Amino acid sequence: MSAPVEVVLSADSAGQLFNCAVFDPHSGSEFLSYRGGNTSSRSLTVLSGEYILGAQLGKNFINVWEIQRKDQLQQKIVCPGIVTCLCASPDGLYVLAGIAEAVYLWEMSTGNLLAILSRHYQDVSCIRFTDDSSHFVSGGKDNLALVWNLSSVVQLDSSRTPEPRHILSRHSLPITDIHCGLMGPQARVATASLDQTVKVWEVSSGEMLLSVLFDVGIMSVTFDPCEYFLFCGGSDGNIFQVSLCSTSLSRDKTFQADSDGNQVFKGHRNLVTCLSVSMDGTLLLSGSNDETVRMWDVQSKQCIWSINHKGPVTNAVIIPAPANMFLADSHPAVPLPRFSRHLNPSEQGDGTGSGGMCLRLGANTQEPEGTYLEKSDELYSLMCAVTDKSVFGDGENTKVRVSELEEEVKTLKKINKDLYEFSTQLLTKPN
Amino acid sequence: MKSKKQKRQGDFQKIQLKVGKKKPKADNATDVSFRSKAIHLPEQLKHADSGPTTHRHLDIKDLLSKLHHINSNIKQGALVGLRELLSAQPTLIELHASAVLSEVAALFTDKDGSVRAAAVRLLRFIAQCISAERVAPFFPLLSAHLTCAMTHISEAIQEDSLRVLDVLLEHYPGLLSQRHTVLLTNFLELISQKRKAGTGQDKSGKGGFALTISTSRSITAQQWRLTVLLRLGSFLQAVVEERPLEEGVTSMIGLGMWAGEKGSVRPVDVNWEEHVFGKGRIQVFENSGAVPTPHSTYRLRPDSKAGAGMNKELCSAETVQGFAGTLVPLLLEIWVEAAGGDQVQTNSGHLLSAEAMALMFQILTILQLLRRLTPQRDQQDILDAWFRNSYLTDFKHHFMKNFPYGLLEVARHKKKADGKKIRQQVAAGTVAGGNVEPLALNVTLCQVMVTLSLRGQDHVEAEDADWLGPIRIFIRDTLSNGGKLSSKHLAALLEVVWRMIVTQRSRVVTDDLLQAVFVQYQQRNLAVNVRTLLLRFFSQLYIQEHQNHPHIARSRILARWLASLPVQLVQLGSRNPQLSAQLLETIHPAAARGNKDLLQSLQKNACCIYDPQEGCVVVLPVESQKRLVQILHFLPAFPAELLACLSQVCNTGRVSASLATMLIRTIHLRSPLSGWLSSSQDVPVKDVDYLSFFFTTLTGFSSEMLRALQDTDEDGLLPSSTLSPLSVFATTLEQFLHHWDVVEEVCHCLDTLGSHAQCFDVIQNAIIKNLCGLVVVPDCVCAAILRCVPRLLDVNFLPSDTLLHFLSDCCLSMLSLLLQLEQSARKRDAVWEACFAALSTVPRLLRLVLQSLRVCDLCEEELPVLAQILSLLLQHTQLRNHMMANASLLQHIIQDLTHFYGGETREQWLTDLLYCYSVTLSGHRANMGMRDIY
Repeated sequence: MSAPVEVVLSADSAGQLFNCAVFDPHSGSEFLSYRGGNTSSRSLTVLSGEYILGAQLGKNFINVWEIQRKDQLQQKIVCPGIVTCLCASPDGLYVLAGIAEAVYLWEMSTGNLLAILSRHYQDVSCIRFTDDSSHFVSGGKDNLALVWNLSSVVQLDSSRTPEPRHILSRHSLPITDIHCGLMGPQARVATASLDQTVKVWEVSSGEMLLSVLFDVGIMSVTFDPCEYFLFCGGSDGNIFQVSLCSTSLSRDKTFQADSDGNQVFKGHRNLVTCLSVSMDGTLLLSGSNDETVRMWDVQSKQCIWSINHKGPVTNAVIIPAPANMFLADSHPAVPLPRFSRHLNPSEQGDGTGSGGMCLRLGANTQEPEGTYLEKSDELYSLMCAVTDKSVFGDGENTKVRVSELEEEVKTLKKINKDLYEFSTQLLTKPN
Repeated sequence: MKSKKQKRQGDFQKIQLKVGKKKPKADNATDVSFRSKAIHLPEQLKHADSGPTTHRHLDIKDLLSKLHHINSNIKQGALVGLRELLSAQPTLIELHASAVLSEVAALFTDKDGSVRAAAVRLLRFIAQCISAERVAPFFPLLSAHLTCAMTHISEAIQEDSLRVLDVLLEHYPGLLSQRHTVLLTNFLELISQKRKAGTGQDKSGKGGFALTISTSRSITAQQWRLTVLLRLGSFLQAVVEERPLEEGVTSMIGLGMWAGEKGSVRPVDVNWEEHVFGKGRIQVFENSGAVPTPHSTYRLRPDSKAGAGMNKELCSAETVQGFAGTLVPLLLEIWVEAAGGDQVQTNSGHLLSAEAMALMFQILTILQLLRRLTPQRDQQDILDAWFRNSYLTDFKHHFMKNFPYGLLEVARHKKKADGKKIRQQVAAGTVAGGNVEPLALNVTLCQVMVTLSLRGQDHVEAEDADWLGPIRIFIRDTLSNGGKLSSKHLAALLEVVWRMIVTQRSRVVTDDLLQAVFVQYQQRNLAVNVRTLLLRFFSQLYIQEHQNHPHIARSRILARWLASLPVQLVQLGSRNPQLSAQLLETIHPAAARGNKDLLQSLQKNACCIYDPQEGCVVVLPVESQKRLVQILHFLPAFPAELLACLSQVCNTGRVSASLATMLIRTIHLRSPLSGWLSSSQDVPVKDVDYLSFFFTTLTGFSSEMLRALQDTDEDGLLPSSTLSPLSVFATTLEQFLHHWDVVEEVCHCLDTLGSHAQCFDVIQNAIIKNLCGLVVVPDCVCAAILRCVPRLLDVNFLPSDTLLHFLSDCCLSMLSLLLQLEQSARKRDAVWEACFAALSTVPRLLRLVLQSLRVCDLCEEELPVLAQILSLLLQHTQLRNHMMANASLLQHIIQDLTHFYGGETREQWLTDLLYCYSVTLSGHRANMGMRDIY
């Protein structure tokens, strides 16, 4: 069986069988499960496809698993308080955690705590990054959603407190869920609230574009990738589908009128706490407090499968399958650093120097795109390579070459291992 | 010949003139005894067919041509005629606008005063009739003539030009404000002249202009300056107000803006039901969302400067600085003269004559407006800094020397020591705008000075203390001396307070000033707008500045104010819903932010606010009710009394069903049983209270009410009988339906609780304890119980016998009630739905119901009712299986029925019943049964 493109990751608050588990989005069969503890809601996140991070329910630490070593808990990151929500940036460079009413920002390359943003007045309930990791949105129980620019948060000197770029303050009850659309700073953000509305905002201007009033409080919200539909999970167990691009042709009006029942996904019996849409926009995943996770077909609004959990579902999400997930002998490229618990690392004597800040630009930022000429050259060389090989490289030659390279790799690995052992000896030796 | 001679003599006969005799009149003498009179031709003998005319039959062409006449009387007459004609025929204005306006404008500079006056009157009339858009094409012409008049060499024409300006300002402020480049210099030239090049720069700091003093005017130089400054002030006002508002511009600091989210994007508001039924169509994204909306302010760098390109407009700091550089020295000179002139008369410098005061007030107003010319915040800061650097010493020296100012009462020659107490208005002379209260002057002075204070650094505080001190004292005294202030002055004062609080960053100052405002706030009998203003001040201060300024956040006064809000809400009751809404607008965010003082106070007053009889939650309009319900979400704890109140609120029907639903959901979510608050340690709703709240809401009647109901004998009471074991109290349709909606929500909430069996156990006990002994039961309670029990029933749980007996009583009573209900299909449907659900879901219930139908106890009249009930049950397909299970019982009953019914003819009801029975039990066994019956 080939590796799946997308997988379902879900967790419940009981954690009897597993902390979180990975399922096949089409059949609902379980691939893997990660054990140890349980995860609080909106706090399960995958860090650059190599680690799974989940905040322990009601405790002040974060559980970390390497994504391929499913059974054992790799690490516990101790935090200054109970983590209410957690989010890793899509480029894997930063991790955000909501702890009480503050948002903590860690840099993954060093583990430094870069900023503590305390602009919320009450507990932070949800944090989401935009897909290019340039902005993030935090929503709290104080009815506010704040849009932050990551770079301005990171780069500010310590004398000035970072300010959110926009304050979205039109909700009148606590915000329960946030979803960021695609397209980076031009994205739209949907916020769901207990005040029975879902509002759609523009990240760039902070303007509200749409407000939909329901007759129940909304606990979760998501877009499909094209932003044709808005899915809203109600506190009565219904999932409402709002079509955002309705064409106002008069001839399908009658069709609209009798298709009214079709815009609700019915099946859950309790709060729908999490929603997620697959990459192609055909599957909708929902997790509910009635202890089930259901997969729906968006077109026909049928439930495809459902999985029973042992407790209220806290997280359920469809993610692109990380490359390492099904390779048991793979290793993360970057080891997870120790997370610092204090804002200023230089005071701890970590030896990072005089307050120098490490900044890494994301891999996808500002890469100049090649011209068509270059691309065609590249293509040409690629095509030529085949013929070149047949002309110049005979079979034996390549075999020799391969074995040479393999030997080199072996020696390198050995050196690396020696180096590792030497350094561990040095480090672990009590002095 | 001779005869010829004679003849000749005869021709030339000499007439003898004698003394004393009159000379006879010559034959050809003209008789001048007649008298002549001039003939006026004021009207032409024209007919009306050539167009409308004046009462003198002059049409518009004649009149316009007469405007060029050399005689000023004729010109004036033509102007009057034009006015008459145009007022009679307003359509003509549109047709001849260009001609009329150009001709009239040309007369602004006429040398005759009466013509100018008439021209101005005509202009005023025309301006009333034509909108600004219509006049825009002619405006360059008008303003050119205006400029011409303002710079005219004749002073009388200059004076009259201001009248023209008045008219234009009144009607076309927007158009006029576009011409600021020309007009502003004109203003300067009206009161000053350019210095000679040599002497221009001798005194540093003074601009290139010097005040002029002309002796030939009819009014004094001061009065003249005042008139000019008045116009300048109103002109600047027009410039400021007519500018298209940009986003994030706050004309008044803080006040009047709500959170800065007023965007140019109009959000789409959709209701789910409408959307579902295809009414509300949503089209959120332009260009399918690929391009952000043009209003997007996204910039790569957060603090990039606004680009060049606004240099021509009067909103960049540089242009304003350029203008202010010439104007401010002039203003200072005028100030000095005004102040000095009075000092001659009296010794105390702070008492001013009315005229000087008006002049000073104008000066300050203009200074204020100058600052407001720049809309952008950063530009404003630049300008403030510039003002501070250039003029702080001058301002301090001149303005603050005698602050606060008072009015010198010329009439009585009585000096009053304390300037601000003087309220009396002295009839100031002829100048318009002469009546300026000293308070207004002082307040404006404060406003001007306070803008000069720098934001925030510590060392500045001491620097500015010498002049900020008196201002602070003045403001504190004015606010706290118990006088009532008009809303205009108060707004200005509050602006000053705001600015001082924000800039000074000192807790002492903040508390000092806020205390004064609070004293004002606590006064009784304030006008509503004043009260609203104060309320807004506090709430804005709290909401906007709270986060950035810890000294504001820690202010005790603000905390006290917040804590007083719930009390005020209770006291206000239903008297002023707008004010209540305003209060809630502050309480809600403060509660959402978890402000301790407010929450404590809210908790203390919660029972009053949510009182089911006269609490705010029932007396206020719907919007406020909704807010109050939402505030519940932030309440730290729900004691039992409060829950009792809330339960009654839900059921009394004074809040709508949807709101009651929302309330119930809120309580449900706040309880740890709902499983939403996963990590919180404190428990706002105790489980016991939660369950008792839900049970009370479910029944809809408190235990006292039920007890009282047992003894009454009202009309709504249906007596108990064999078929209706309980005596049913019929509630009104409205109440029943409201309760029905509430019950639906309660059932839903209870349904989602974790353990069904335990939950059902609790409810069963509650029903047995509270309801089972009752004789009189309201119908809505019966329906609610019948509906709730089957929904909560767990398959593994057996309900107790007591409950089942009670349920069967309820069920029977409801069924017999059902047959009497004609009034409402909805109620009937609801009752039937409840009965059906109970009968089909609860095991043994149907059997119990059937067992209790003892036919032998029934009287004759009740037999048809029983038959109807039975046929109703039989007709329902889903109940058929259950009926089949109790077939023997059923058969027994029907046998008894036919047996006891002694009538000779078979009635319709019996036929129906038997038919239903036979259809239901079609089959061999049924046939057997049928055979037995007959």
